[in-house]
Amino acid sequence: MEDYRFLFKVVLVGNAGVGKTCLVRRFTQGLFPPGQGATIGVDFMIKTVDINGEKVKLQIWDTAGQERFRSITQSYYRSAHALILVYDVSSQPSFDCLPDWLREIEEYANAKVLRVLVGNKTDREDREIPTYVGEDFAQRNNMYFMETSAKEADNVEKLFMEIAHALIEQAKAREPVPEYKGNPGQSVTLNHRTPSTTSESCCSRLL
Amino acid sequence: MATIVKKCCCFEVPEDLVESVIFKCTSPDCCCGCCAPRYKRLVDSVFPRNPQDGLVKSNMEKLTFYVLSSPEKLDRVGEYLYQKVSRDIYRKRNGFTVIGVECMDQLLQACHSQTLNLFVESFLKMVQKLLESPDPNLQILATKSFVKFANIEEDTPSYHRRYDFFVSKFASMCHNNSSNDEFRNEIRKAGIQGLKSVVRKTVSDELVENIWETSHMEKIIPSLLFNMEHGRKTLVKDENDGVTEAQDEIDAPKLAENCMRDLVNKATFGHVRSIVKPVLHHFDAFELWVPNDFAVHTFRVIMFSIQSQYSYAVIETLMNHLEQHTHSSNAKIRTSMADVLAKIIDIAAGESVGPSVLEIVNAIVQHIQVSTKLDRVDGDEKSYRETLISALGEYVTHLPDYQKIEIMKFIMQKVPSRSDNCQSHRLLQNMLLKSLLMVGSKYRTTYLSTTFPIAFLQPLLTLSQDDDPEVRLLVQNILHTLIDRRQNREKLFTPTLKLENINREPSTRTDILFVKKNGAEIFSNMIASLEKNNNELRNMNAIYTTVALFTVELFCEDTLFDFVRLVLSFQDLAITSTVLSPAQKIHLHVIALCLFVLIAYCLPVLKEYSDKVIKARRDQAIHLMPPLKTRYEVYEPSQNIPDAALLSQDAIYTLLKQEGFEPTTVKSAAYTFPRHSWVDAHMQSSSTTDLNSISLEVDSGSSTPDGTKQKPNQTDMELTVESLKKILNEPSENRKAVESEKRKNLNESFKTAAFEDLVSKAAAKGGNLQNKLSEIFSKVAVSGTVESPSRTNNNHTSNHVGNKVRFPNIYEL
Ligand SMILES: Nc1nc2c(ncn2[C@@H]2O[C@H](COP(=O)(O)OP(=O)(O)O)[C@@H](O)[C@H]2O)c(=O)[nH]1
Ligand SMILES: [Mg+2]
Repeated sequence: MEDYRFLFKVVLVGNAGVGKTCLVRRFTQGLFPPGQGATIGVDFMIKTVDINGEKVKLQIWDTAGQERFRSITQSYYRSAHALILVYDVSSQPSFDCLPDWLREIEEYANAKVLRVLVGNKTDREDREIPTYVGEDFAQRNNMYFMETSAKEADNVEKLFMEIAHALIEQAKAREPVPEYKGNPGQSVTLNHRTPSTTSESCCSRLL
Repeated sequence: MATIVKKCCCFEVPEDLVESVIFKCTSPDCCCGCCAPRYKRLVDSVFPRNPQDGLVKSNMEKLTFYVLSSPEKLDRVGEYLYQKVSRDIYRKRNGFTVIGVECMDQLLQACHSQTLNLFVESFLKMVQKLLESPDPNLQILATKSFVKFANIEEDTPSYHRRYDFFVSKFASMCHNNSSNDEFRNEIRKAGIQGLKSVVRKTVSDELVENIWETSHMEKIIPSLLFNMEHGRKTLVKDENDGVTEAQDEIDAPKLAENCMRDLVNKATFGHVRSIVKPVLHHFDAFELWVPNDFAVHTFRVIMFSIQSQYSYAVIETLMNHLEQHTHSSNAKIRTSMADVLAKIIDIAAGESVGPSVLEIVNAIVQHIQVSTKLDRVDGDEKSYRETLISALGEYVTHLPDYQKIEIMKFIMQKVPSRSDNCQSHRLLQNMLLKSLLMVGSKYRTTYLSTTFPIAFLQPLLTLSQDDDPEVRLLVQNILHTLIDRRQNREKLFTPTLKLENINREPSTRTDILFVKKNGAEIFSNMIASLEKNNNELRNMNAIYTTVALFTVELFCEDTLFDFVRLVLSFQDLAITSTVLSPAQKIHLHVIALCLFVLIAYCLPVLKEYSDKVIKARRDQAIHLMPPLKTRYEVYEPSQNIPDAALLSQDAIYTLLKQEGFEPTTVKSAAYTFPRHSWVDAHMQSSSTTDLNSISLEVDSGSSTPDGTKQKPNQTDMELTVESLKKILNEPSENRKAVESEKRKNLNESFKTAAFEDLVSKAAAKGGNLQNKLSEIFSKVAVSGTVESPSRTNNNHTSNHVGNKVRFPNIYEL
């Protein structure tokens, strides 16, 4: 029987082909999918993890990187608790697009969203972006940073666990805030038995 | 919240359930069924031992009876069922999951009249759980269940229920990209159905969930469009394959389209934008404007589904979008958008009322205006403008006639009154006249006086004197379409002696009044138009058509002399003009004859005489016969024309007198040449030479270069460049008033003064005027630019007839 104390929405963005879908599959299903088609629109996966004995449900929205789906994907940023911006360490162009993505995020996401920069495909021989360059970029833009390999399952679990951890910390820090800050499209209040007065602005807790 | 987690021997009790279970299951060593509360036992009994056997129907009936008789138990039943289904999903026991869902569905149906609130919460949690599963079968199962739920009318919907997740998930399903074709199709369809149900569930009650919120619409609309469009591609393929789907099986694109219709139909004014904006973004992002058949299709769907009083808001939003594209997109895209506009705008026209009509027209005119200012002169930009004009035409077609007149007046106000060197200005003038022509062609004249209110006729006639032959031609064409009440235009396209099947009807009193009121003005303009020395053949033909149409429409006993005099004036002009080329003079003779033949057609008593003139021309002056030609062998046509080949005023008047027709007040004056654009005429001179020193007396009605003709003279005026500037700087209203006052006086004197008086008055001024004119011309000639004198003047580049958008009173709320 599955139940949880926290529910967080995590949205993955970044150029097409950097490995967003592979990261999600690796994390949620433990596999590296062979040759699946490019994501169109938005894909959805769910996984419940255990953080220090507390069950945390992660709703993961995996977006299409292509420009033409931008308007629908943007509408998913808004309610995200965490945004994972992915680039491919073996692709300079995917790294060069990061500022554009940041602008997108700035424009459409909640200001308090947890932002994580991920350099994926560390298993590849032909790396173009050294770790410190990614790190530096993350630091300058006030983001968490991690390098992963969806193929080798390197750091993937860790990535999501740390995000869950950080979000819990965030939620707990905000918990005492007494007043209700209603924010449209924020929480899945479906899981509330009673409309609670302790609804936080960035995540919803199941009591 | 309770912190004690109790364990029952049968299963783990989740925290949520503690409250409901805690009092019942007290025995630590109870065994399954014996200590469980009755509602649990009833729920459990619905499940068979073997899932293949399906729901145990008899037990389901018991359960249903139970909750109907003790409705207070419903919430607990729901919660318990949810827990059971969750567990089955988790353990991937799909057979039991399906049964659990079926049980939930049946209870929902059976109890819908009861207060369902908390039960629904459990139900929706179950649906969400199913949707969260990666198993497509469960997602489809969830959707089916949700659709059934959406069809239930709830007595008291829950105000804290949110549908965010459902919208997000269903939208995601609409984009499913599974490599399994069948799953992909099924999941997409489920997604669409899910969205449709969310809409149905929420649309009627905004307290439950405001489905029109941007965050929802930005998901719903692109998802529907994606499927509508995607389907169109495969649809064509399917048709070719000859594959026919089962009758009851409705495909994804159709489903999506239906959902779109539902949604749009529910929209009120404030929601129109919420729907249309994501549509426009989708077309931008997916580059669906060129070609635009899908865009046209979609917008037609929207226009036909929307509550008609809001259809104008759709048009407006589309036009705003066009504006956003003006500087960023190429003309092809804008043309395509304008074409979409043209193809849907008629649907809005029927419903447009009040200010919205002119707002739409104004917006189109502004787009045309902006386009003429762009530096691009390529064919794409041109077809963009043409498309806008046809959109205007489509729109206007469906408006009532009185609005068309208002629109014509409105556009007229926006036409720059004189063209100058500025290319964009000229282009704008041209485009707006084309727009006017378009609107005019959709209008059916009943009363000429209604069609030509002075505020419209006046500027139109002024433009008929423009320097640009293209502009003048457009003006004539506008006149044609507005005058021709009885479809004679084709037959009178060029000067002709063969008149057959001309449709005529007796003139009415209003017709006669129209001639009496405006005839002098219009006809003088025709004469002045004929005298333009840069007229091309088509200009001459067009002026003929205008006068011929007027004749057909307005000729009667009361207006007889007006027309006869006009025709004779044409001939006079041919003989006396000093500015026209030989070919143009021949044209005038031809036109005069053909018009006279038309008069004779209307008044057969003149037929014999007209035949005589024709015969004389055929014998002795064959070059004076139609059609008009560009080149003639004869060198100077005005000389050596035998009298018999000319129209004789005496002969005609005698004939008319015999029939009892007498010219009224003014016995035999030919039409004069009042130029309302006299300012233009003089500005042309002033621009090339310093004329500050020249002052001269002219009357507003005579500025023809051959000042030898006799004209009635009324207003004397000191004319200097300074005074002209002053006039130009005056507000146009003011100037117009002064001008019309002058014209009134002029006409008045023309009608009432004794002929001798006029002659003597004119003669007295004539010499003076002549002198002054030759003085001017000699000065002008020195600078050697007589041909195109006005083109260097920049002072008056934006002399619009009206610069401001003025909405006629009838549109004021
Ligand atoms: N070598 C390597 N290839 C990867 C990795 N992650 C993804 N890929 C490959 O990159 C391509 C695009 O992956 P995908 O997850 O579809 O990218 P998305 O468009 O960002 O979702 C696929 O061919 C994957 O096999 C990785 O960690 N290492
Ligand atoms: Mg992907």
